[in-house]
Amino acid sequence: MTPERWRQINDLFHQVTELNDAAREELLTRTALTDAELVAEVRSLLAAHRPEDGFLEQPAWAVAPTLAFDEPLARAGAMVGPYKIVREIGRGGMGVVYEAEDTRLRRSVALKALPSEYATDPVRRERLTREARAAAALTHPSIATIFALDELEGALYLVSELVRGETLREELGRGPIAGERLLSTLIDLAGGLAAAHDAGIVHRDFKPDNIVRCPDGRVKILDFGLARAPASDPRLTQDGTALGTPGYMPPEQLAGQDVDARTDVFAFGVVAWELATGTHPFGASAAQMLEHLLEGRAVTAIAVTLPIAGLEPILRRCLRRDASERYASAGPVLQDLQALRLTGAQPAAIPAPVATSPGTALGWWQVHQVVLGVVIASMPVATWFVRRWDPRMGSWLFLVVLALATISVATRLNLFFTSRVNLPHLRDQRRRVYPVMAGAEAILGVLLLASAAMVAGDTDALASVLVTLAVATMASLGVIEPATTAAARIDSEVPHR
Amino acid sequence: MTNDRPVDALLPVVYEELRRLAASYLRRERPGQTLQPTALVHEAYLRLMKDRPERWQNRAHFCAIAAHSMRQILIERARARGAQKRGGAQPRVTLDEGLVGGESPSFDLVALDEALGRLEQLDAEQARLVELRFFGGLTIEETAEAMNISPATVKRHWTMARAWLARELAGDRPV
Repeated sequence: MTPERWRQINDLFHQVTELNDAAREELLTRTALTDAELVAEVRSLLAAHRPEDGFLEQPAWAVAPTLAFDEPLARAGAMVGPYKIVREIGRGGMGVVYEAEDTRLRRSVALKALPSEYATDPVRRERLTREARAAAALTHPSIATIFALDELEGALYLVSELVRGETLREELGRGPIAGERLLSTLIDLAGGLAAAHDAGIVHRDFKPDNIVRCPDGRVKILDFGLARAPASDPRLTQDGTALGTPGYMPPEQLAGQDVDARTDVFAFGVVAWELATGTHPFGASAAQMLEHLLEGRAVTAIAVTLPIAGLEPILRRCLRRDASERYASAGPVLQDLQALRLTGAQPAAIPAPVATSPGTALGWWQVHQVVLGVVIASMPVATWFVRRWDPRMGSWLFLVVLALATISVATRLNLFFTSRVNLPHLRDQRRRVYPVMAGAEAILGVLLLASAAMVAGDTDALASVLVTLAVATMASLGVIEPATTAAARIDSEVPHR
Repeated sequence: MTNDRPVDALLPVVYEELRRLAASYLRRERPGQTLQPTALVHEAYLRLMKDRPERWQNRAHFCAIAAHSMRQILIERARARGAQKRGGAQPRVTLDEGLVGGESPSFDLVALDEALGRLEQLDAEQARLVELRFFGGLTIEETAEAMNISPATVKRHWTMARAWLARELAGDRPV
């Protein structure tokens, strides 16, 4: 059908739907004389046109919420094959997880009901089986062991070791982990990942929610062998790329490209950073990470102090945007962490960090902003007194100083708050406002020196206050601010681009 | 809807958020209530976008992705379920589950998806509109806003697309 024909059908259809039956029939009959085919098409559409029948009026997923959202539900006490459901313990993208009892062996297991697509789609099923088989061969104290992949009552269930304890996500809720406990946790996690990587298995969704701290203090990684291929994207399904969790996914995974061990290395870097500091290295929410991806911008780790000297370069290397600049797998990460524990020294081949850590320096930079803000805010007060010596000039001087000081103080406050609440954007923000701010402050310095010259001799006290303020401002602009800014690394692009 | 890779990567993310919200809605739900369609998209939008909505392309962009995600997941699941019930051949699922009082006639979701694909060939704008309304749950006014056309135009297109799709699903195409 040509676009022209389609338009004609649309036009006639709308024309006749607004007419009453008699007028409609008359128009159609008349038009049929010249274009019978058009009228036949419109008549068949009119036959299907029933405005009141509710067709498509309810959104698909409101009409069929179970189809859209629900997983098959099993109730406590129910039997699924040989497994007796005890309770639901979790729910995620890969389905519902139950605590269950294996009635044959009388042991507790974790039973994960996988989405129905895995039971029905032979390709996915095959891949899942292959991955589960590989993951089941992994035995490592930091990895929850997989027992079986069972088809029960038409659905697939992954049966694994039941790990009791709390997730690192819950532990993080109480704040960062310190000292030796942090280092041993990281070594356990890197060890688990390294064992998997050696066996050619990539986790793809490494995050605090997938790690459980057992009562004995050790950690265990859950959900190996579950390539989280999203049901909603056929392309990802076909090439086997997995969906992870935004905030833990490196750029290549966000972009839907192939993932490998270096994907886990990145996620490990994020998790380790969170455990060490209690904050996300990119201050990132899902939306911010997506934003970075959409705009093709580099993500920048925020400046904080890590509690263990020598840990930062290791984590920054895990967090490189470019996969080829990261550790090739978790094995070398483990080696560097172990070296750090043994010697407390810097791992080889990594440049030593600068003397002042950016976290402390940022604090000084903030102090600098506040102090200078106070100095500049006092300038209009000082120039107010100049009016006594020359009322006309003095008034003008006061007004100009007031205006410039307002600009400067407002800008510095803005930068101060940006550094407190939105650190990743501080560099851009500062670059935008710095020329205006520095210009205003340079003029302020000159004006104050000029007015000091005006009143000098009559009132040396006022003159010296004015000179002090002017010199303090200029010294700050020329020397102190560049130093604190450089130390806090506000103007440089760390750590990866 | 563009086919850029970033958008592809957004689909599962948006859907995951929708599903997470829907699951909590469904758990809270009392018998007799139905899922509030637009509330879900709104909440997902607010959650995912609350940091810097202006940096994300815009609301319309989000709605289009949400609608497209929904379409893909529903069709895929309908296919899977059909295959499960019928042992493989020619999966067909009617969209009647969860209906209260049977107000709408049941119809074949997979067939609708195929018909929508044909409508896309004829009139991409109308097909997009159906995707936003039926799979995205947007109202006439929201659809108008998302597509940057007037509500009156949305209504006209909607009427036509509905009639065309109803006829396609009934299977009586004139020769």
